[in-house]
Amino acid sequence: MSVEIETLPEADAETKPHDDIHPAAKPFLFLGSIKTRRNFIWIPLVGMIICIILGWFHPQKHPLPYEEYITGSWAIWGFLAYSTIVLSANTLFKFLGRDEDYYGEGGLPDPDVSTDPMITGEPHHD
Amino acid sequence: MIDQLPFLAEINPGLWVILAGLICTLLPIGHARKAFVIAAPIFAGVIIFQLNGLNPGAHFGGEFPFGPVELTTLRIDNLSVVWGYLFCLAGVINGIYGLHEKCRMTDSSALIYTGAAIAGVLAGDMITLFVMWELTAISSVFLIWKGGDHAYAAGVRYLAIHVLSGVMLLAGAVMFAQANGGDFMFNEIGLDSPGGWIMLLAIGIKVGFPGLHMWMQDAYPKASITGTVILASFTTKFAVYALARGYAGEDILIWIGAIMTCFPVFFAVVENDLRRVLAYSLNNQLGFMVCGIGIGTSLALNGVVGQVFVHVIFKGLLFMSIGAVMYRTGTAKASELGGLFRSMPYTTVFCLIGAGSIAAFPLLAAFVTKAMILSAALEEHLWVPFLMMLFASAGVMEHSGIKVPHFTFFAHDSGRRVKEAPWNMLAAMGIAAFLCFYLAWPFGGYQNLYALMPYEMEYAYKPYTWDHVVFQLQLLFAAIFAFTLLKRFKLYPAERRAEIIDLDWTYRKLGLNIAKWGSAMWDRLSAQSTRFRKNVIGATGRRLYQTFSPAGAASEATPSGLAAILTAGLLFVVLMLEYFAG
Repeated sequence: MSVEIETLPEADAETKPHDDIHPAAKPFLFLGSIKTRRNFIWIPLVGMIICIILGWFHPQKHPLPYEEYITGSWAIWGFLAYSTIVLSANTLFKFLGRDEDYYGEGGLPDPDVSTDPMITGEPHHD
Repeated sequence: MIDQLPFLAEINPGLWVILAGLICTLLPIGHARKAFVIAAPIFAGVIIFQLNGLNPGAHFGGEFPFGPVELTTLRIDNLSVVWGYLFCLAGVINGIYGLHEKCRMTDSSALIYTGAAIAGVLAGDMITLFVMWELTAISSVFLIWKGGDHAYAAGVRYLAIHVLSGVMLLAGAVMFAQANGGDFMFNEIGLDSPGGWIMLLAIGIKVGFPGLHMWMQDAYPKASITGTVILASFTTKFAVYALARGYAGEDILIWIGAIMTCFPVFFAVVENDLRRVLAYSLNNQLGFMVCGIGIGTSLALNGVVGQVFVHVIFKGLLFMSIGAVMYRTGTAKASELGGLFRSMPYTTVFCLIGAGSIAAFPLLAAFVTKAMILSAALEEHLWVPFLMMLFASAGVMEHSGIKVPHFTFFAHDSGRRVKEAPWNMLAAMGIAAFLCFYLAWPFGGYQNLYALMPYEMEYAYKPYTWDHVVFQLQLLFAAIFAFTLLKRFKLYPAERRAEIIDLDWTYRKLGLNIAKWGSAMWDRLSAQSTRFRKNVIGATGRRLYQTFSPAGAASEATPSGLAAILTAGLLFVVLMLEYFAG
C-alpha cells in the first residue's frame, strides 16, 4: 500500500514573497505561474505541427515501409509511445507498488544519517 | 614524460590511480587527498595519451609470466583508449563534484574504483581483466555503504552479485582459454564455446541484462550523493567495453539490447525516487549500447563508442543535478520536490541540458550518437529492434527528459527554499554541460568525437541532415505534447511514495522467505530429531537396564524346570541347524 503525502497547494509564484528566491531565478518566475503552465501546451503542439508539415514537404530519404503512406509517422509514434507508457502507470502501480518499508531495510530516510529536514527538524545545509 | 621515465610504458596507468587511492586511505589531510583525487586521473590520462601516441594502433606492456599464463597487463589500442580517456575525464569531473565531501573512505575508494576501471579496460589479458573486475566491485561497495545504515543490505547484495559475476568471468575465461590452446588474451570471445556463454552471462550481470539488472536499481539510489555519481560512471561502461571487445556482432545481443531499452521505461514511470528513475534510465541507455554491439557494423560500433562517451557525461550530469538537490533538500523523492528552479536556477539549467542530451535533442550530446545506432539498425533492416528503440526513445523523453526535471524543478511548488548547489558541484555540472553541447556541436564539435571512434566507416555519418533533425523533433515534440495533454486532462499519474518491486523481489522477499521457512523447518526438524533420538536411546537404555542390570529381569531367579525347557529348545535348534547345514 502506498503512502500518499500531503503536498502544498498549487502555489502561484506571484503570491509568494520574492525575498527567498535566487536572484538569477527572479526573471524566470513566470515559469511557475499558472497561466504559463496552462499555455505551455501550445509550444510542443505548434512545434510538432511545424515538423510534420516540414516532413510532409521533404519526406525521409530512407523511410520505413509504412512511413511512405503516413505523414508525421514519427510524431504519431512518439505520441502513442509516450501515452502508452504514461497510461500504463496506474495499472503497473497497482501490481508493483508496495509500502515504502516493504522490505524492512530502509527506503525511508535513515534517522541516523539523513539530513532530510522532515527527519532532523532543521533546515538542510543552509 | 615516457622518454624520461620509460618504465611508465610498462605499467598500466590505472595502477597509478589505484596507488593514489591507497595513499589516500592513510592520508589524514583532506586537501591533500582532494589533490590526489583530481591529479591522479589527469596523470593517468596524460600517460594514456602519450602511450597511444608512442605506438599508434596498439601498445602492449607489462608482459610477464604468471604460472603457466602469459599476462599482458597493458594494451592501449583504438578501442580501449576511448574508455581510458573517458574514465580519466569522468574521474576528474567526479573528483570536482565531491570536493565538498570530507571523507577519507569516499576519496580512497573512489580513486581505487576509478583506477580499477581504467586498468580493467586497458588490460590485455583475461586474468588482469578479472582482477580489475573484482576490484571495481570491492572498492565501489564502500560508496554504497556510505549511503547510511539503510544502504548496508543493498551493498552486501551488490557485492555478492558482482563477486559472483567475477567468478563466472574467471571460470568462463579459463574454459575459453583451455579450448583455445591456453591463450588468455582478451580478444573476440564469441558464443561458440561454453566458456564464451559463461563469460557473456558474467558480463550480462554487470551490464544489466534484463533479469540480471536489479542490483543497479537496488544499490545506486542508496549510495551516498557523491557515490551514486561515481558509480554511474564506471561499472556498467566497463562491462560495455568487455561486451564490445568480446561479442561484437552477436545477434542475440540485438534482442537483449532492444528489450533492455524498453522494459525500464515502465518501471521508471511509476518510480518516485528520482535517483532510482535515473538508474532505470541508465539501464535503458545501456540497452541502446548492447543493441549496437549486437548489430556489429562499423557504424553501430562507432555509435556505441560515442554513446558510451556522451552517456557517461550526460548521465553523470543528471545524477549530479539530482545529487545537488538531495544535498540541499535531503531527499530525491519526486513527491517531496517541485518548484526548485526558484532556489537552484543554475542546477535547473544543468539538469535541463542533461535531460535534453539524453532525449537526443539537436545540438545536444546523444543526438549524434544514438542516431548512429538507430541508423545502423535501419541499414541492416532490423525493423522491429528499430521500432523498439524508437519506442524507448519516447520513454527516455518521459522519464529523464520530462519527469526528472519537471518534478524536481517545476511542477507544484514544494515550498522548499534552499541555497544553490555548492560551487564545486556547479563547476562539475558546468563542465559536463559544456561537453554535452560541445560533443554534438555541428561545427567542429562532434567531429572530435568521431576522431576517437575506433572503426573505419564506409562513410562519415552526418547527424545534421534534414531527415534526422525534422523527424527527431517530430518525435520529441509529440512526446512533450502528449505529456502536456495528459497533464491537462489529469491523466498523468501523481507521484506517490511507494516501493516499486522489481525482479529483486525474488531474492529479497521470496528467496528470503523461503530461506527463513527452510531455517525454521530445519530448527523444528532438529528439535524433533533430537527429541526422537533422546526418546529412542532413553527407552532402549531403560529396557536394557530393566533386562540386564543386576536388578533386571535377566538377573531374576527362574524355576529350574523352565531353564531345562529353554536349554532343550536351544539344543534342538542347534541340532536342526547342524543337520540341515551339514
